[in-house]
Amino acid sequence: MTRRDLLWNAGGGAAGLALAQLLQGKGAHFPAKAKRLIMIFLPGGLSAVDTYDYKPELVKHHGKETQGANTITPFFGKRGTVMQSPWKFAQHGQSGKFVSELLPHLATCVDDTTFVHSMVTRSNAHGPALFQMSTGFIFQGFPSIGSWISYGLGSENENLPSFVVLPDRRGLPPCGVANWGNGFLPAVHQGVAFGNQEQPISNLRPPAAVNAKAQAASYDLLSQLNEEHAGANPGEDALVSRIRAYELAAKMQLAAPEVTDISGETAATRQAYGLNDPEMRDYGYNCLLARRLMERGVRVIQMYNGGHFGAPRVNWDAHEDLITNHGKNARILDQPTAALLKDLKQRGMLDDTLVVFTTEFGRLPISEGLGEGGRDHNPEGFTSWMVGPGLKKGFSYGSTDEMGYKATDNPVTLYDFHATILHLMGLDHTRLSWYHNGLQRRLTDVHGHVLKPLFS
Amino acid sequence: MRWLVLLLASSAWAVDPASVLRERCLKCHGGEKVSAGFDLTKAASPLVLAKVESGEMPLGGPRLSADELAAVKTWVEAGAKPLAAPPRKLFWAFRPVVKPPVPQVAGAKTAIDAFLLEKLQAKGLGFAPPADARTLLRRLSFDLTGLPPAGTMPYEQAVEAYLASPRYGERWGRHWLDVVRFGETDGGEHNFERALAWPYRDYVIESLNADKPYPQFLREQIAGDLLAPQDPKIVRATGFLTAGPWDSVSAELNKDAAMKATARMDELDDMVTTTMHTFQAMTANCARCHDHKFDPIPTRDYYKLTAVFQTVGFGTREVVTPEAKAAYDKATAPLRAQLKDVEQQIADAEDPLRAAYLRKAIREFHEARKADARRIPVNPVFNVNRIREAGELRLVITGHDGPLAKLDWLTVGGRRIEKWQAERKAPPDEPVYLSLGTVAAPGEMAWACDEQLARRPGGITVYRVEAKRGAEWVEVASSLDHVRSVEVLLPSAPDPGLVPELKVVRDRLKAEIAKIPAPEKIYAAMPHAPDQAYVLERGSIGKKKEPVEPGALSVLPAAFATEKDRRLALADWMTDPANPLTARVIVNRVWYFHFGNGLVNTPSDFGLMGDRPSHPELLDWLAASFVENGWSLKWLHRQILQTQAYQQSAAHNEKAFAVDAGNRLLWHMPLKRMDAETLRDSMLAAAGTLDLKMGGPSFRLHRMESGGSYIFKAVANPGPETWRRSVYRFNVRGGDRLMLDNFDCPDPSVATPQRSSSNTALQALTLLNDDFVWEQAQKLAARAGSVGRAYEIVLGRPASARELALGAQYAAQHSLALFCRVLLNTNEFLYIP
Repeated sequence: MTRRDLLWNAGGGAAGLALAQLLQGKGAHFPAKAKRLIMIFLPGGLSAVDTYDYKPELVKHHGKETQGANTITPFFGKRGTVMQSPWKFAQHGQSGKFVSELLPHLATCVDDTTFVHSMVTRSNAHGPALFQMSTGFIFQGFPSIGSWISYGLGSENENLPSFVVLPDRRGLPPCGVANWGNGFLPAVHQGVAFGNQEQPISNLRPPAAVNAKAQAASYDLLSQLNEEHAGANPGEDALVSRIRAYELAAKMQLAAPEVTDISGETAATRQAYGLNDPEMRDYGYNCLLARRLMERGVRVIQMYNGGHFGAPRVNWDAHEDLITNHGKNARILDQPTAALLKDLKQRGMLDDTLVVFTTEFGRLPISEGLGEGGRDHNPEGFTSWMVGPGLKKGFSYGSTDEMGYKATDNPVTLYDFHATILHLMGLDHTRLSWYHNGLQRRLTDVHGHVLKPLFS
Repeated sequence: MRWLVLLLASSAWAVDPASVLRERCLKCHGGEKVSAGFDLTKAASPLVLAKVESGEMPLGGPRLSADELAAVKTWVEAGAKPLAAPPRKLFWAFRPVVKPPVPQVAGAKTAIDAFLLEKLQAKGLGFAPPADARTLLRRLSFDLTGLPPAGTMPYEQAVEAYLASPRYGERWGRHWLDVVRFGETDGGEHNFERALAWPYRDYVIESLNADKPYPQFLREQIAGDLLAPQDPKIVRATGFLTAGPWDSVSAELNKDAAMKATARMDELDDMVTTTMHTFQAMTANCARCHDHKFDPIPTRDYYKLTAVFQTVGFGTREVVTPEAKAAYDKATAPLRAQLKDVEQQIADAEDPLRAAYLRKAIREFHEARKADARRIPVNPVFNVNRIREAGELRLVITGHDGPLAKLDWLTVGGRRIEKWQAERKAPPDEPVYLSLGTVAAPGEMAWACDEQLARRPGGITVYRVEAKRGAEWVEVASSLDHVRSVEVLLPSAPDPGLVPELKVVRDRLKAEIAKIPAPEKIYAAMPHAPDQAYVLERGSIGKKKEPVEPGALSVLPAAFATEKDRRLALADWMTDPANPLTARVIVNRVWYFHFGNGLVNTPSDFGLMGDRPSHPELLDWLAASFVENGWSLKWLHRQILQTQAYQQSAAHNEKAFAVDAGNRLLWHMPLKRMDAETLRDSMLAAAGTLDLKMGGPSFRLHRMESGGSYIFKAVANPGPETWRRSVYRFNVRGGDRLMLDNFDCPDPSVATPQRSSSNTALQALTLLNDDFVWEQAQKLAARAGSVGRAYEIVLGRPASARELALGAQYAAQHSLALFCRVLLNTNEFLYIP
């Protein structure tokens, strides 16, 4: 451990670094392709064979028992028969990419997209799989990818948090805020969940009984008292950086409502993002907000399409009824997500913004139980995609077997996936580390290879 | 001259050639390293002579003397035999604790000060001037009790008073709970609550207050359930082992055997990791997939440690003798039966969805019966049979409507039967026998063949349960019982209007049951049948290598008594005088919390990747003296609190800062930001609203929102019942981030031996705008009544005339409450000098 690491770890006190230094981050390791990241996360488990991973063999074998090597034990143990997708596939764009009719708007974006069809994860249970996608580890309590990037690159706009989370309005994803926790990294790198428009950040506004004038006077008096105290205690950086923190808080109090106020957006934009449609409205608003946050220099946005489990499920965990579940969720997802991609492109923001679209695992190509209409979890082969600078566009990497059971060609672990995201952001996954309980901890543990074949 | 040289050479016979080589060459060539690929312990070479004669070697050292040269020549002439490998020098942490003499340093008040001053003076530094009495008392009070001082008293007297105060255990217990990752929910997807985990927290607080000797504190946490199996006060200590996160979904629901086995290994890993971090500051967990890359911990040691914890499972257990348990069950049985009935009625009335679900199942069953007269009335969703006979039981299936498949579930006497699958496609007229094992108190058998109403074929239709009486099997229940069971289950659709009345009955029944002293239930180590442990290649459950028995770290000479219970043996091994880690680790932790700097600044890692002790002699002096003084933590606190080092001021010193910015030499007392709990508790104390009730169930700042998975949201308006010390807060994993979390209170998903002390805009927003702060500021204003008094309460000092004028002006313009809110936001309040 270097002395510098010790200082970073200590975080406060005389030896601690000033807030401004923390906000700056440690700096990129090499020139970055992308300055900002937005991760769109579909909790519950998006089925690849019903969306982007076209498997004509399923039609051929529909209703048959599965044979031979496909001995996977589904999470709930109920093996059914081969189930074809209820949605038809067609080719789209110059690249001729097969996409199902479930995602008609996203199908128009395939020529900008880089697909990875051979994703594998370590667990077939939601909790560990969510943690692995969010933090690299299957256990709870490690820093999330957004926190790592915030730690590495800092903020471009200190008036807003460097890492913002936009949960689905229907509820938090399974495992809740642990998906964007800072783990053992300093709290300044935590994901800050934006709530409703009136109070996007908790405690952003003073209590109802405190009017604006009194609030301003409070800031002034506090600043005066703290300045005097700091003057009497020379050499204590922490006291000075705490004064800074209050200045930032005051600025954030102004900046956050400004970003969430979309009254200046055109009718065409609202229409495109689905804000006039009661089903799409909430998610569409988040997509639009994501663009506005990125325009103002927020480093990382983690946006959810889907919430927790329960009855009815408000995420992609289609155990019982694939048609209803994926049908409803896809309708909410499709148009606003495509609108976001097109909006970013039109504004030139795709030149320095990386968009990542993922889920914690896929779904099996067989039915869950005999004669049933759901699919169980599939950790051994699923699809994610990226859109952004430095990537081959309209390109598909890796594949699953002919039925969609397992990644067979170029399997991509989450370590590889995360290493690649960090690389595009200008960070070396082997060097972005933090000492904790005896180890230099990394997002990618001791694994991970950057997926160079994805790069243009 | 030639003659003289010969004479000298002959006198060199007295010099041992091997000792010359050992002293002058071996350090670089086979001792601590092997330079230039030349290892004197493996091969030797006549070339050595040429190298030393020419002066090329020893590299960077003085040339060999003539005597030494002659000795080397002799060694070459004798055949240049390889040297014996030197004993490897142990890494500092593994060396025995040797109590060093106290250095003689002028001006040192205590032995500890002598060790510290010796190093400071070597750099031309010294301690900062002593802190003034007010500052010192405030520092001491926050440090020992986590609260501001209530009045003034002489320092020496205050040390004793605070150490004797119950607040001491609350403050230092919180430190311990950080180290052991104490949480009260499982974490992960389901994140179930552990409503009875708090007894462990109380154990920690009470043990510290009682100044329990440290070896006893350690033993009880590792093996309390074995030391006193029927004493809840001791068994609760094993909550240590299971305080970490637990993936109930992978452990219980997952049908994939390999994933399940891996989840069990993860449970064992958590216990090994935490035990080794907490008590030994060793990262043994790094040896799960390969020998430890830095420390002498082979993979084999790691798997021996997993074997130690094989007898521990997760869950809530009763701590009671079987007789007492039976007496309690008998006494409460009628009341519980009534209670169950009433609760069922309430549930049906309140939950029409569930009632409808059952109605649907039962309607289908009636329809099925109409359609096929031969079909016996058995419900695919839920069946209950009462079994009056205890002993060896079996299920005899004589009818089913398809190839007999798996049941969705089967419990007897509340215990889940896992191994009952009958895959054989039996002809309908041939019975299938399934052993249910020997069941002491069967009570009810409950089962379902199609829990989710998926209309799967292969349901059981006709069966009986038999008990073995002597050599004979006697029927004790059967599917014929079912008409009645089903009728009982039929929701009679109680009138929702009756619910309030039913709840009165329910509460009365609960109160009556509560009057009968119940066996104590605790979330602590559950007995678990041990599996054989194996070394796993690269940590993979599918790659078992040789079997291993329980054991500990082989690098230490301490004894592991294999004939003892495995966890007791581990506790003995850790407290064996030949284990140097245990005492060093705990004295360093205590030091760290007093000074904000450890003698070793990685308190849970004394390995190669960790920090080196800044004052190794002092660390050993403390460790040895601590053991001599009965491993008493309060003794250790007193030694530290008496020092000049502790009593010096926080004054900044440019010269010292330039030499030692990290304050490792302790040239001043560092200014410390209050940790999250101290901040919250001190606001309550200042407002006069702090409720000092100790122990018992935790108060809640989060409420569980359930709907398949569980999310912990902030309680909307936490009331006075939550104005207790923060150590009694319900510790949620992955809950909404509230005030405490924003101030670096760690999520208990991972152990936190050192908290960070960050400085963020969100902290500023929280402290300024949170309703809690505003509410307490108003209470404080009401209590103080004036700016001057508010200064005294919050900052422990009188306000200057200027401050009074400034405050009064502000209070007049806005309000005293708003002024108090500002005061609670000041750095002077937040930072303890």
